[in-house]
Amino acid sequence: MADLGAMCLWIGLALSSYAVFGSLLGKVYGAPALTLSARRASYLVVLVLLVATMSLVASFITRDFQVAYVAGHSDLAMPDRFTWVAFYAGNEGSLLYIAFALSVLAALALWRAPQQVRDTLPYTNAVLMFVLAFFLAVTAFMANPFDKLPVALPDGQGINPLLTHLGMFFHPPMLMAGLVATCIPLSFAMGSLMGGKAGDEWVDAGRHWGLISWALLAGGLLLGSWWAYTILGWGGFWFWDPVENAAFMPWLALTAFVHSIMVQKRRGMFRMWNIVLINAAFSLALYGMFMNRGGPVPSVHSFGASTLGWVFLLFLAVGTIVPFAVFFWRYHQLRSAQHLDSMLSREAAFLLNNLMLLGIAFVTLWGTVYPLISKLSLGESITIARPFYDQINGPLMLALILLMGVGPLLPWRRSTVAGIRRSLLLPGAVAVLVVAVLAALGIHKVYALIGFGLSALVTTGILAEWWRGARARHSSRGEIYPVAFLHLIWSNRPRYGGYVVHLAVVMVALGVVGASFFNTQKDLILAPGETAVIEDYEIRYLGTEEEFKGNRTEFTSTVELYRGGELLDVLHPQRAFYPSFNMASTRAAIRSTPVDDFYLVPSENLANGSVGFRILVNPLMWWMWIAGPVLLVGTLVSLWPSPVKAPAPVPAVRREAVALPISNEPAVPG
Amino acid sequence: MASSSCTSRDVLPNRQLGAARLRLPAMFLSVLLAVLLWAVLPVGARAQEATPPVSPGELAFEEKEAQAIDGMLMCPVCPAETIDQAQVPLAKQMRQVVREKLAQGESREQILDYFASVYGQDVLAAPQKTGVNLIAWTVPVVAVLAALAAGLLVLRSMTARPAADTGGVAGEGPPSEDPSPYLEAADRELALSPMPATPSESEGESASREAENG
Repeated sequence: MADLGAMCLWIGLALSSYAVFGSLLGKVYGAPALTLSARRASYLVVLVLLVATMSLVASFITRDFQVAYVAGHSDLAMPDRFTWVAFYAGNEGSLLYIAFALSVLAALALWRAPQQVRDTLPYTNAVLMFVLAFFLAVTAFMANPFDKLPVALPDGQGINPLLTHLGMFFHPPMLMAGLVATCIPLSFAMGSLMGGKAGDEWVDAGRHWGLISWALLAGGLLLGSWWAYTILGWGGFWFWDPVENAAFMPWLALTAFVHSIMVQKRRGMFRMWNIVLINAAFSLALYGMFMNRGGPVPSVHSFGASTLGWVFLLFLAVGTIVPFAVFFWRYHQLRSAQHLDSMLSREAAFLLNNLMLLGIAFVTLWGTVYPLISKLSLGESITIARPFYDQINGPLMLALILLMGVGPLLPWRRSTVAGIRRSLLLPGAVAVLVVAVLAALGIHKVYALIGFGLSALVTTGILAEWWRGARARHSSRGEIYPVAFLHLIWSNRPRYGGYVVHLAVVMVALGVVGASFFNTQKDLILAPGETAVIEDYEIRYLGTEEEFKGNRTEFTSTVELYRGGELLDVLHPQRAFYPSFNMASTRAAIRSTPVDDFYLVPSENLANGSVGFRILVNPLMWWMWIAGPVLLVGTLVSLWPSPVKAPAPVPAVRREAVALPISNEPAVPG
Repeated sequence: MASSSCTSRDVLPNRQLGAARLRLPAMFLSVLLAVLLWAVLPVGARAQEATPPVSPGELAFEEKEAQAIDGMLMCPVCPAETIDQAQVPLAKQMRQVVREKLAQGESREQILDYFASVYGQDVLAAPQKTGVNLIAWTVPVVAVLAALAAGLLVLRSMTARPAADTGGVAGEGPPSEDPSPYLEAADRELALSPMPATPSESEGESASREAENG
């Protein structure tokens, strides 16, 4: 089986290389047959890589321990369902996964490409296949998952226990797909530039794929946080770890991009800026992959010792320099079709939002690379970790939430101070009220108060607009409110889908503020029968069961959770020791409610049956995990294509009378 | 320039608009500056807020404060984990030392200094805000503020340029002379929310249509 996979890998490399040259030559020398065959080669790659993927899966299922990768990442004791995770547990398999995911997404992008970009599609095709060929070449030459050992081993080394978690089934594949998917909007932009187009043709395709990549990264980041929260055993969800940052930075750049691209879609402005943004997103994604594989900074998440660092560094350089070179080559074509009417407009708010997002990305990048700079040039060995990011990115994120509250209330083109005042009156009043009530209740932490106030501002702004829209439909068309609301959302999906995503961001903000500023943490050792009190919870530790399970020893504790004398739940936090990895893995027991999370994790098991527990009460965490599905729904609404092609333009008179020209703008997700 | 053809009656509202144009973003920027400065100020400057004074010799200390210090110290033997996260014996031992020192009445700074002198500067999760390490703190703050200031300048130049630039574009009148159609439409939007009847594709035209109307 492994030989078949290896063969397919080489065929895939040959096909994608052919597609690069075929589509470029075909386009430049005007041979449509050649570009068409190149495109078909791009479709065929999907099939070939599917066979390669399947053959690696088959090697895992049959536990073919002659294949080095299978021997390194599985063993006989591993349940078959973990094949899914083991597949990308190491460098080699994850590269094959990335190549396969990219081939599928690229084929979809080429197949579904809108009419406007058909003319420059060969260039787009060439860029996509170039990126794919890079990954396939690295996989085939340097990290081949099908490489064989001289003799088959009797048993494998087993899967890393930290990976045997539900979150790991989705978090890494989503992140990797999201990172590599940034090259799709980039390739549409590059295609448009290389084809010498004026710069607006790629906007729709770029926005769609930018959003898809954005949503994959957002989902991956949230799932990664959830994984860290439940399994790493210290009760946190985000640590500004170099690898977390590596996925966070391209997400920030993409967030800026999906906002800014709307300005180009609606107003024909920011053409250069959008190219810069998507280039930056792609560079940051490549930087993320570089950090992940043999990057120079230690991390809890990276793929262990990898020698691929320099290849990815090289590709990072190419992937940054070439797109910017193309950009400067076609610079003169990208003048704005429109001008900015006023600083008090949504366009201006979008630019500010973009700068804040890039600012956060820069701070994060700075934090990851400065320790290296400091060490190499100043000889000072320092660490930059969470306190740094909290102090600098914290205020920037609050400013961003403020913009998220104000920006959508601004109309395109221009507004007046009086108009802004009027539209901000209600949300502002609610925000002030929330802060006043919280302060009266005894919350005096400045950041937290600002955070809650701004969350109230954003939420009220969105709900007020929905309410006004639904009421207008209700009174003018007699629709009942729920129907009117759904029709309202459906009538302008890009805008209102974006609002749903904004609500999800507020939920994440609530979770972050709650858990960072109001959590209570206790580390203590309990003997069987002992009780402990934390906040208004009380626990009674009953005892621990020890069970040997092939590759690990599991310690499962039983703990009763009370509040006000009433038994709420019986918790079973778990700790397992893996001798072959000399590693313990924990599974926290969490009782989650919208008010707070009760979090209990065993940190050590003593010989006499006592257990060292870490106990946390994290207010509002629940909202953060609920945000994930909400965000997904918002993105889907925002992305949902219109069922029919646009009808003939509405006569101007009717538009003015009914549709309110400025009002039905699609706004932005994210 | 369109403004040169303005009558004196028009000048006043235009100037007001110009002032308003900058006021909000400038306010935003200065508030941000204040907050960032506050955030980056040396911890000692606002220590009273974070650490309640502990009289020497007293054994009681705030566990919250101990945990905060745990989060500021890296575990020397594990990659990228603080002693609050790490579960190796050394981290446990360091947590114990933090609590002992707090019980002896030492301040957060003293404890951090102690660990930095034993394990080197890189045991601190964030560099101290002194000497050459100030670079780490100031560069990103300055860069973000500079980017925002540059963004505002670009926006301003984009709003100043139009009359000369686009006067020649077919169908587009001098934009700043009479903003009232936009303002009215904007006000209408703000008063009554959209009830769009057109799918999003056709909206591409609406912008250009507006331009024509304007």
